[in-house]
Amino acid sequence: MSYTIKDACIGCEVCKRLCPVDAIYGEKENVQKIDEDLCIDCGACGKICPKGAIYDDFGVQCEIVKRSKWDRPKFDVSKCTSCLSCVDICPVKCLLIPDIEETNQDRLIPFISEINTCIGCGFCELKCPVEAIIMVSS
Amino acid sequence: MAKGYMGKILVVDLSKNEFKEEIIPDDVYEKYLSGTGLGAYYLYHNMPANADPLGPDNYIGFMSGLLTGTGSLFTGRWMAVGKSPLTGTWGDANCGGNFSPAIKQCGYDGIFFKGISDKPVYLYIDAKTMELRDASDLWGIDAVDAEQLLIERYAKQGKTPRVATIGQSGEKCSLISGICNDRGRIAARSGLGAVMGSKKLKALVLLGNKPITPHNYDEMKKLSKMCNRWVNFQPPFVTGPATAYVGKLMRYLPHQLVMDGMLYKIFLRKWGTVSMNQLSVEIGDSPIKNWDGSSDDWPVSHSNIVNPDVFTDCEIVKYHCYSCPLGCGGICSMSGKYEETHKPEYETVICLGALCMNTDKDSIFYMNEMLNRAGMDTISAGHVLAFAIECYEKGIITKDDTDGIELTWGNTDAMIEMLQLMIDRKGIGDILADGVRVAAQKIGKGSEKFAIHAGGQEPAAHDGRADPGFALHYSVEATPGRHTIGAYLYYEMFQLWKRLKDLPAPKMLYHKDTKYTVDEEKIQMAAACSKYMNIINGAGACMFGAFLGITRMPLFDWLNAATGWNKSDEEIMQIGERIQTIKQDFNVKHGIEPKNNKVPLRTLGQPPQTRGSNKGRSVNLDKLMSEYWQFFGWNSETGKPSTETKRALGIE
Repeated sequence: MSYTIKDACIGCEVCKRLCPVDAIYGEKENVQKIDEDLCIDCGACGKICPKGAIYDDFGVQCEIVKRSKWDRPKFDVSKCTSCLSCVDICPVKCLLIPDIEETNQDRLIPFISEINTCIGCGFCELKCPVEAIIMVSS
Repeated sequence: MAKGYMGKILVVDLSKNEFKEEIIPDDVYEKYLSGTGLGAYYLYHNMPANADPLGPDNYIGFMSGLLTGTGSLFTGRWMAVGKSPLTGTWGDANCGGNFSPAIKQCGYDGIFFKGISDKPVYLYIDAKTMELRDASDLWGIDAVDAEQLLIERYAKQGKTPRVATIGQSGEKCSLISGICNDRGRIAARSGLGAVMGSKKLKALVLLGNKPITPHNYDEMKKLSKMCNRWVNFQPPFVTGPATAYVGKLMRYLPHQLVMDGMLYKIFLRKWGTVSMNQLSVEIGDSPIKNWDGSSDDWPVSHSNIVNPDVFTDCEIVKYHCYSCPLGCGGICSMSGKYEETHKPEYETVICLGALCMNTDKDSIFYMNEMLNRAGMDTISAGHVLAFAIECYEKGIITKDDTDGIELTWGNTDAMIEMLQLMIDRKGIGDILADGVRVAAQKIGKGSEKFAIHAGGQEPAAHDGRADPGFALHYSVEATPGRHTIGAYLYYEMFQLWKRLKDLPAPKMLYHKDTKYTVDEEKIQMAAACSKYMNIINGAGACMFGAFLGITRMPLFDWLNAATGWNKSDEEIMQIGERIQTIKQDFNVKHGIEPKNNKVPLRTLGQPPQTRGSNKGRSVNLDKLMSEYWQFFGWNSETGKPSTETKRALGIE
């Protein structure tokens, strides 16, 4: 399964720059393509495309969402088990674990290092086995 | 429809630099799960009989678990599989850290290697490339540094590379070497590091990002949250030194209470496996002085140097493997050449401590880090040292043989020097680096009776005289000498009878003497442990999670929710039985006589000890083994699976 780009694409390459796995290719100002073997279905391209040219796995046209309104992970640290499934899956390294020398906790609790790198994919919420992460619109 | 597993494996021929993807049919997963089960299935069918373990025909497989990455807890372990050069039998070893999901994220349930490369290489896989790259610059570098170099080389925006690598021991084909990941965690047993070394395969660097999707995410998470509630129950408990006195009390009472794994979980969460250091010595579970001593030789005044609080005092932070809510591991600070080390495990502490009569705490930390970096098994290394010391003390080897090292009981400096010789394979270290069986064969002069091993594999630090289940599993498993499969104690903690009504429920309070009688109940318990551990290793789960009990760590329900199967508990247990039988038949196919894998009489209390907590205890191993084999439908004299049994289980 993979996202697809249709003819409305103007080749502005915004999506290409955002794609965390370099799955988008094509000439500037031409219709871009998504390599379906590389696409991880994070949906970032669909939200950023100014022309609504991107369609999801199910063939549904993606809606443009203002970047400041993208969903971001919210942690409930009291539920977090430090299993680090979220850190492992984060495709943009926006979730990190603290340096062991610097932490004052007795275990490693993930934190959002740079919220602007977050693409709002929600993989961390999906992978958290104990629902300690919820995605909320900022 | 998503089923939790990836449905294919990768086979790399190192001789020809060829990559081949193989699709694994769904019914293979239904019969063998993934992980060790799939590995056993593949190697049983593809490895020629009598393949040289260090030759091109042997395979080394890196397997992920069926439940890894599916939203379950305690399921982040990966398994190395192959024919063991140490024992010549089926070999597997498993390890935690973050490597297991990385295998599946590359799109495979397992990555197998065959052939031999003509120069050192490592495998690199990311979403776009898959190739063998030159590892000449990494050859000779220890496992921790090599891993760090590779991570720095491939760290970029996005995922962190996950690396498994061998150290110098594996490169030099030491038969007691393992495979390391996550800064010195090690899949240590069965000597599979030597298989990697023989193939000139230094490391795997995995950077895939394929999604791992279970059949029913909601159900997986519902089960995980239930499981996590039990893990979070953590009342304040006794202090570290007090554990010794709990052990003393257990030792002098003639009766024993059924162990509930929740209690052990509380210990594990607070201290990790080192919580058992003193308690185990007191109840007779720890081998002392190369299995010849007793708890009287290692009294509380000795063991106090490794009381559990010693380890938490220098623990910087707890270490959790992937998807683990418990966190039994830790990163500890230490003085000297290395600043940090993974918290030594109980096995390491006893094998490098009590087994060699070493009472220097700092040296145990140092040797732990030294062995993790070299990629050598601490259990086997401790046994080899204890063997060499006993040979030296009995005059079988002398200062001339040891390059002047005075190998006496408790001589810490001598132990460290000898370990360095073993890692470098210099002098007598060259002989000792292949484990006690090979060392005894080469040294001769009656040293064989001090070589403690089962079929070549050194047993772990659990004494069969205190729990005969350990002696049985050391001797009867397809991977001999293994403490992570079964014991009467483990059966009590697994609580399988709560789901499988045919299995016997132990009495709440029982007399210790009853552990030494051989009856059908004992055999049922042992067989259930073997089957259950095969399922755990197929799912990529952790035994410490399973100690919570089958109703609290819902392994069977996770398996059904992840795959969309609707298997009954009995059907899942039959998968475990099938894996047990195919591993045993792998051994038979490769010319192993199962009855030769018995642990030596010294470890069985024959003759019984005259003092200490195992005074007067002896284990009737022959009867236990014979009845265990018969229970599985194997020949009760030879331990070989019958054609009818194999046919009934669908093993072709």
